[in-house]
Amino acid sequence: MNQRLDHHTLEKYENIWFGIATVMALFLFVTVLASFFSGTYPSLTGEGGHHITGVKNGRLNPKNFAATPFATPGLRQNADGTYEAFVVAKAFQFEPAVLKVPVGKPITIHVTSADVLHGYFIEGTNINTTAIPGQVSSFTTTFRRPGTLNVICNEYCGTGHHNMINGVKVEVQEP
Amino acid sequence: MTTSPILSPHAARETPVISDAAYLASLKKVTQYYIVTAFLALFIGVLIGPLQALNYGGINVYDMPIIKGLLKSYYQGLSLHGVLNALVFTQFFISGFLLYLPARDLGMRINMKFAWFTYILMTVGLLTAAVPLLMNDATLLYTFYPPMEGSPVFYIGAAVMVGSSLLVVGQVVQMWMRWKRANPGRVTPLVAFMSVATWMMWAVASLGLVIEVVFLLIPWSLGWVAGVDPLISKTLFWWTGHAIVYFWVLPAYIAWYAFLPNHAGGRIVSEPLVRLTFVMFLLNSTPVGLHHQYADPNISATWKTMHMFLTFLIAIPSLLTAFSVAASLEDAARARGGRGLFGWMLKLPWGKPTFSAPVLAMVSFILGGAGGIVNASSTFAPVIHNTAWIPGHFHITVGTATTLTFMGISLWLIPHLTGKRMPSVRLASAAVWTWFIGMMVFALGMHWEGLVGVPRRALISATAQSVYRDMPIQIPQMLTAISGVILLVSAVMYFYVLFRMLLSKRVDDGEVSSPIPYSEVISPAGQNLAGASALVRFTEPLLALWGVALLLVLLMYGPVIARLFANAELVPGWRLY
Ligand code: HEM
Ligand SMILES: [Cu+2]
Ligand SMILES: [Cu+2]
Repeated sequence: MNQRLDHHTLEKYENIWFGIATVMALFLFVTVLASFFSGTYPSLTGEGGHHITGVKNGRLNPKNFAATPFATPGLRQNADGTYEAFVVAKAFQFEPAVLKVPVGKPITIHVTSADVLHGYFIEGTNINTTAIPGQVSSFTTTFRRPGTLNVICNEYCGTGHHNMINGVKVEVQEP
Repeated sequence: MTTSPILSPHAARETPVISDAAYLASLKKVTQYYIVTAFLALFIGVLIGPLQALNYGGINVYDMPIIKGLLKSYYQGLSLHGVLNALVFTQFFISGFLLYLPARDLGMRINMKFAWFTYILMTVGLLTAAVPLLMNDATLLYTFYPPMEGSPVFYIGAAVMVGSSLLVVGQVVQMWMRWKRANPGRVTPLVAFMSVATWMMWAVASLGLVIEVVFLLIPWSLGWVAGVDPLISKTLFWWTGHAIVYFWVLPAYIAWYAFLPNHAGGRIVSEPLVRLTFVMFLLNSTPVGLHHQYADPNISATWKTMHMFLTFLIAIPSLLTAFSVAASLEDAARARGGRGLFGWMLKLPWGKPTFSAPVLAMVSFILGGAGGIVNASSTFAPVIHNTAWIPGHFHITVGTATTLTFMGISLWLIPHLTGKRMPSVRLASAAVWTWFIGMMVFALGMHWEGLVGVPRRALISATAQSVYRDMPIQIPQMLTAISGVILLVSAVMYFYVLFRMLLSKRVDDGEVSSPIPYSEVISPAGQNLAGASALVRFTEPLLALWGVALLLVLLMYGPVIARLFANAELVPGWRLY
């Protein structure tokens, strides 16, 4: 029997479908919120919530790295034992070329750029941020396995963009 | 078995008669100019695509002498590919298509001098921007993020091109308001309604880009100001940059809703529902752009999360569309004797390119939309942000959902406008199917490479280190390379059909042989507002809804941008290409 669809039946299906669509959208949102709270990804510090010498509201003058810890890129251990790393992206490499970090310790990484936009993406992880001149990206993460990971620039930065690859070396600390 | 009577189908809308033949000819001509310019841009843009696919297949062709002679670098080619396909093709096609449709649907006269002026201005903008692009003076990719600096000629040309689309908006909205005044109490016909809603959305959406280019980039590139704040510019860019994708797909939606049922032999399911869908897009597609900036510092996570929430909400009108159009197709197939839960699909006219193009485009969009939900989720986004996943994603949305639909439209629209005939249905059909298959293979390869960590926008086939050789990407690389070849074949077939058609002689009266394929409707919106359903009365005042859309954008962007301006950090420009 080939009865064609009519207005009445369709309206019923439409409403059901509309309900399903709405519930799905809300469900998606709730699941993402849940992952925020369970801390499954290294989220960026928003709107300059950190305190670094020479950096105001997350901004700094890229001509004036000398007044900031970006003058000496790399890892440092603060007086309270916490780790902070400073990375400068510039065409076409990251400084330091290899960032050495201890395994299993929370590290706050600050990234900025000396010229144009760059990407700071650590292969095989969900660490992925934009290095913007004049702005500092800060996030905290813990490397759980020793080894070397590639850091890939994934934001177009000029003719050498595809060669802008350096590394992070996760090391077991000597006691 | 119910005994309810089968409702009589509501006949397809007839195009209102336009008795002034000279006017109609001129209207058709300007539309044709827009459409042909669009496809010329696509032709050049698409020819570069396979070279890029080979790159993602691990094969570097950019050192070959012929290609070296044409393109200074991979990145110049990619800038041309992105600008011509994503900005020029879409804008010209939509400006022609969505000027023509409401003018015909409402039967209104428009000022043809103004229409031609707009076309010429847009083309002048295009040609102006093209010069620096071709001279390698604007190798900025289509996002042109500062402080990478291009020639001011590029920014000026782009501003004129985008700005002139606002003149089309003005003309269409003004035409619609004249129609409203002449027809008090009437319900706006569906196709005109969808067109006006789309243009209104674009008017809200394009503001960000216009502000960025006119007030920040042009003065900076001319050296009037010392520096630029890259984050402010990027934020304004994505105000437009996300909504622009809806500007690309809404005209495809119009074809899926209004014309595809006709090509299939079915009926539009429900006009009130379609109108609701378009209002949801008008209100909701602009205040979501921060979802492109999850990886950017110094924008609060709270605002990013609000934009994420609104992004998820736009999945709803897309899901409604999937439902409605699928129901139209089922209706068509059952009318042709299709049976079974899925068996009815066999009864659809798969060999007819005006049908297969939009349907396959829609199938592609369902997959693209699913991937889009991953991109939109701020917890997943860092895994795939700026990886090859992203081009994998948007080639099955704009690169197929939109482009393939527009290709399908061209196959009836050009005969309609010119009275010429498609030279070969089989070749056109083969072009459509190979495009779809090619893009599916491409998307599989690129999504896969992206998941492994291959970045986008990179000449990975020539990287000095061994990083990509060490990644487990041999299979997806092979898929990507093969897809490039399939797509090249597809493009050659399509453009052969298109150019043969355009260059052939006029044989028919397009009004008769290839009319605008309006479809019948199961649940129409009705003629008069007084007797219409609540949904129809709620969606009719588009101008007021447009005001709400503007307000929503100001609410969702105002505080973010104000804070960025308060902390602006101007940096100098660079030219590293
Ligand atoms: C023959 C068909 C096509 C092929 C083989 C192709 C291939 C590619 C590839 C491999 C990329 C990635 C390049 C990279 O990230 O380095 C790309 C980028 C892109 N494609 Fe296509 N493409 C095709 C058609 C299209 C169409 C029809 C559109 C839109 C209408 C389009 C729009 C874009 C855009 C916007 C980009 C991004 C440019 C950028 O990142 O700046 N492509 N294409
Ligand atoms: Cu870089
Ligand atoms: Cu780069």
